[in-house]
Amino acid sequence: MPHSALSSVPQDLAEVYRTTYRALVRFLYRKVWDAERAEDLAQEAFARAVVHKPDNARGWLFIVAANMARDEARRAARERRHLTLLTAEPQESTSATDEALEVESDRARVRAALDELSPRDREVLLLWDSGLSYEEIAAQTGLARGAIGTTLSRARRRLVQAYEAGKPGEHVARG
Amino acid sequence: MSHVDDGTLHAYLDGELAPEEARGVDAHLAQCPACRERLEQERALITRAGELLALAAPPDRELPPFRAGDVKPPTRLWWRVRLPLAWAATVVLALGIGTYLGRGVEQGRRTETAADTAPARLRALEAPIQPEQAQRESRVAARGTTRKPAAAPPAVPAQPATDRADYVARQRDRLKGSPIGVDTARALLGGDPLAVPGAPIRAVYRAHELGYSAVVIVEQLLDSSTVIEVVNRRRSPMVLDQVVVTAAPAARPDSVSAPERAVPSRARVADSLAVAPAAKGAARPLRRFANLEIQISGPLSSDSLRKLLELVQPLKP
Repeated sequence: MPHSALSSVPQDLAEVYRTTYRALVRFLYRKVWDAERAEDLAQEAFARAVVHKPDNARGWLFIVAANMARDEARRAARERRHLTLLTAEPQESTSATDEALEVESDRARVRAALDELSPRDREVLLLWDSGLSYEEIAAQTGLARGAIGTTLSRARRRLVQAYEAGKPGEHVARG
Repeated sequence: MSHVDDGTLHAYLDGELAPEEARGVDAHLAQCPACRERLEQERALITRAGELLALAAPPDRELPPFRAGDVKPPTRLWWRVRLPLAWAATVVLALGIGTYLGRGVEQGRRTETAADTAPARLRALEAPIQPEQAQRESRVAARGTTRKPAAAPPAVPAQPATDRADYVARQRDRLKGSPIGVDTARALLGGDPLAVPGAPIRAVYRAHELGYSAVVIVEQLLDSSTVIEVVNRRRSPMVLDQVVVTAAPAARPDSVSAPERAVPSRARVADSLAVAPAAKGAARPLRRFANLEIQISGPLSSDSLRKLLELVQPLKP
């Protein structure tokens, strides 16, 4: 029953859930690129928070989420390697509308552009976009607080440049 | 002051510079047209980067209820159980035992099955959708003024620990059956079930209590983490004319009277909670609609529950 679990959730964690859940999903989505998976991982992160009762739940959640996303990416890479042995060509969806395809290609271009960033720049940019403050980003990444602005300015510039360049490379042209 | 570097400009625009640093930047910008121009360029860059990231945002969804320790949605669990049940029912029918048990039972089951998906649909329709954009805008606005993430909205009113224990105990004591549809609930109660208007319905359950011909529990979400239960009890004909009072009459040992059931587990809660104030033993507020008795339980103060009780309305089809 969800009730028993619900009644054991501390009030402050419920509040963090309300204010942080979507941000966490947003953060995870840019790492696993699957909305449902991102939601599952976010739920799992909160479930772990209920057990661990961290002092700074918000920061803790993003660290746990980053770790889970990393494990997820490794697993996905293993599966992809396995799958490429089985399927010669990636399947194309024919039923999508033009608009949906456009949204999808925009998304793929942004994703490709994000891939052009260094891991540290990307992490800082995604954390900022998920609503973390410079202070929180510094605590999470181990960077000096004074370095966050510089990192963000570089990350933003590269993202926009990479996107505009289009780079019809690996992620876009194939789909 | 020398020119402002990119990092400082971004921190300035993000509202993340310390006040004295921000004043220094202001002073320099006032007398340096080149840096003012760069400021506008960086502002445009920040906007553009934000737009691009928004293109790669997950679809907006309603905030699911906090299901700690239960990562899979309950519906999936329900379907896992339902499929074997459906097979079992088929086998029973094939053996002809179904006719022996009588048509009424089978028919009831079918209505239930048909209506089972209704709560999910209702949920999807009524759930408040908070676009992430709005959340983000509020965050940005908050950053502009206070340079802090958006302040947390007021929390759910805290409830006394005894209320919670009371709530948990009642959860345990009530025999909550399987989820049903609103139509089935209507049939059971002989009228519209009552619920708090405006709060999304998470599920409707059938429950069993002695002294009542039907009990339907409407689970509603007040917010993402607060679930209340609106208990609809239909009195059985034999107690229709009785005046239900909270002081239990001397009950025969072999029967449970309706008044006792009206406050389930009261005695047990009183026993198990030595610290509970005497007031806890008092009857929960109750409202009557025609032949229905309505009570609300949830992790809220008794005052809040009483106010909610005043709000309940019949669920119109």
